[in-house]
Amino acid sequence: MTDVMTPPQPALFSIKDLHLSFPDRAHRPLFGTAPRIEVLKGLTLDLPEGRITGIVGESGSGKSTLGRVLVRLLAPDAGQVTFDGKDIGTLDEDALRPLRRDLQMIFQDPMSSLNPRHKVWRIIAQPMKRYRRGGTRADALKALEKVGLPESFADRYPHELSGGQRQRVGIARAIALEPRFILADEIVSGLDVSSQAQVLSLLKTLAKDMGLTVAFISHDLSVIRHLCDDVIVLNHGEIVDSGPVQTVFEHPKSDITKALLDAIPRPEINDSWFD
Amino acid sequence: MNNLHAKTLDIINLNVTLPNGHRLLRDVSLSLDPGEVRALVGESGAGKSMIGKAVLGILPTGISISQGEILLEGTHLNALTPATRRKTIAQTSALIPQDPLTALNPVRKIGPQITDPLTRIHGWTKARALARTRELLDRVHIRNPDRVLNSYPHELSGGMRQRILIAAAFAPSPRLIVADEPTTALDVTVQKEILRLIRELQRETGTGVLFVTHDMGVVAKISQKVTVLFGGRVVEDAPTHRIFENPEHAYTRALIAATPTPNASTEPFRPVPPALIAELHREIQADDDRFSKRAHR
Amino acid sequence: MVDATYSPRPMRFKIRNLRLWLPLLWIVTLIIAAVFAPIFAPHDPLAQDLMLERLPPFFIDGSEPGHLLGTDSLGRDVLSRMIYGARIALFVSVIAAFSTGIFGSTLGLIAGYYGGWWDRVISRLVDIWMAFPPVLFAVLLVAVIGTGLTSVIFAIALIDWTRFARVIRAETMVQAQMDYVDSARIGGARRMATLLSEILPNVLPSIIALLALEMGIAVIVEAILSFVNLSISSDDPTWGSMISEGRGAIHFAWWVLLFPLIALFLTVLSFSTLGEGLKKQFDPVLK
Repeated sequence: MTDVMTPPQPALFSIKDLHLSFPDRAHRPLFGTAPRIEVLKGLTLDLPEGRITGIVGESGSGKSTLGRVLVRLLAPDAGQVTFDGKDIGTLDEDALRPLRRDLQMIFQDPMSSLNPRHKVWRIIAQPMKRYRRGGTRADALKALEKVGLPESFADRYPHELSGGQRQRVGIARAIALEPRFILADEIVSGLDVSSQAQVLSLLKTLAKDMGLTVAFISHDLSVIRHLCDDVIVLNHGEIVDSGPVQTVFEHPKSDITKALLDAIPRPEINDSWFD
Repeated sequence: MNNLHAKTLDIINLNVTLPNGHRLLRDVSLSLDPGEVRALVGESGAGKSMIGKAVLGILPTGISISQGEILLEGTHLNALTPATRRKTIAQTSALIPQDPLTALNPVRKIGPQITDPLTRIHGWTKARALARTRELLDRVHIRNPDRVLNSYPHELSGGMRQRILIAAAFAPSPRLIVADEPTTALDVTVQKEILRLIRELQRETGTGVLFVTHDMGVVAKISQKVTVLFGGRVVEDAPTHRIFENPEHAYTRALIAATPTPNASTEPFRPVPPALIAELHREIQADDDRFSKRAHR
Repeated sequence: MVDATYSPRPMRFKIRNLRLWLPLLWIVTLIIAAVFAPIFAPHDPLAQDLMLERLPPFFIDGSEPGHLLGTDSLGRDVLSRMIYGARIALFVSVIAAFSTGIFGSTLGLIAGYYGGWWDRVISRLVDIWMAFPPVLFAVLLVAVIGTGLTSVIFAIALIDWTRFARVIRAETMVQAQMDYVDSARIGGARRMATLLSEILPNVLPSIIALLALEMGIAVIVEAILSFVNLSISSDDPTWGSMISEGRGAIHFAWWVLLFPLIALFLTVLSFSTLGEGLKKQFDPVLK
């Protein structure tokens, strides 16, 4: 396990010795409780304020679980999750609610995270209303404009949009609350390369303009290379590599990182790739 | 009818249509030589999967071939009765699907799921089918084949299941394999392993492969020929090295440019320019107008 | 990657619609007959006329014009009694199904969403409840709390809430795993608000389907209780009591038994088919 290099900015998130496990229902005995599978095995990391940190790893590496702890959809078994100087790891739902405005999330599958029965403007306005930060149609339109969707989209339903447009609505909903932190969990894995490029450049521009801290979970190192400032490589619930993207990509410390980089099929003819 | 020197697959002016007359494939022509891998590449809605489904005769209900010819090993599929056509396709071709979980029956063990088609369609003895299955499982680096043959699909990982489906597809040494985005759901490291296996087995058996993908990176590694599709139309058809070294069509260039790479030097996030997409749509419209005139004559 | 292809299924739509429209037609006919019973019924359902006892229906010799489906052993008009019987059957089915549905679904939603201690208590209760044979349970209950329509409705709700609780709990657990529930939490929604505004609309199709099914069951249970004389007074025209009376005269006046039996059969079939059809209709086509 390696510590994150000391960043110049203060850390917005500071995580110490984070442990998390799930019950293994497949191996549950007839009587008694199921054994537990440890998903996160003592992670220590910082997310510096105003930077985009990529979290990368294969399926089962624990990257999504880590993300869900950051926005406190999951609670850690042990360890500290400090957000802005406050330990949020042990707070209950009522104590978390005022904090949630600052901890927003964009989901992998916008179809299942946008309520199919609501119009686009309502999807964006609903959370604003709950936090008394506006919530009128006009407020929703402003958020839509920021993600480059014209007014005419306000009265559509999610299933009337393309994948890329839906993901923009997901981004609009998250930024409308003017949060300090956004978790983006595999937000482009279901999109065509072209819509992917649009969504990513939008996210990058918005993050820089609004001074957002972003955790960007992805299995795609190519995307992380261009979007992120820092990167954390996870493998079986442990950090195997971390640091500024340039350092990690050019001088990977771990074999896992090297293997991940080697396995990327680049769009160029290279006969020795399989060797 | 069979011609020893025939191409594995020849598709001539194929049109696939919805009941309302909307075309999903527009005059698609392509061919595949024995032992060749041809990538079908494009964005969603380009019709790339539809080509494979039309060839294998598994188009979704309501979607049908309205015009065009498909020649499998020199045999005109349209000329056959439905029963003969199904038999011909089953005996010469196989599919490697995108989602290895839904392609396997969850309540049956792996073993019979692989050997059944070999005995039923190809008329092999049980012993021969089992021996060949073991051989193939070994080739896809499955270490304890007996345990795997006795497992249920949910007991195996995604990469393992995909390797099993590759073994099953190659077991009867088919002339044609349609691989429908077989690595989209997998991690990059597993993807590389799967691509390598497909390439090795395909070279050994001389099988022609139609490889459906949306990833230009995968195209560059696996294929010798490429068909680039947009809106059900062939935009460019060329050998793979030419596609990457000297692409002719602006859309091909845009697709390559939009594919992210881990190199710092490449310019990030370049979507396909909207003007280009608009032009492609205009071409499709003009094409449809010509097509309906042709149909009305 | 999702291919944005559209595959229409014209054939299936027709069949599905027919399966929806036929039961609906029968039920609407029943409702109209029940509401306007005094207009449609050719006779007073209680009027006896021993001179006209056991008249056969119109298509058999010896029938009397005006008594289309014949008369029973006391000379009461079978058609009129059936029309008035529809009133009771529908009243019981609607009230009983809704009270059962509201009670059972609420418990199912709570158990499925809040989980933990709530779930353990409610699930255990459902298990215990289902160990009782339902008809015996109903007979016992009505015998204890007394006969009458209210008791019948109460008995149905008290016995059958487990059907709703079980199904809705399972569906709620599935929905609670969905991203939109998490995204409501991220957006600051309270748990109760999430349950009502996010989960409930998505399990509503199942609730509606179960309601239709439950109405059919309520009709049967009411008929059974009438049959064993535990519903309302035996004089009142219910399908169950008609079947019970007709049973004694099956060899020489089969119509007294047969016509209410057909009505009962069609009604139960219609409700359950309608339930199935509604569930399919409401199921989101888009994934």
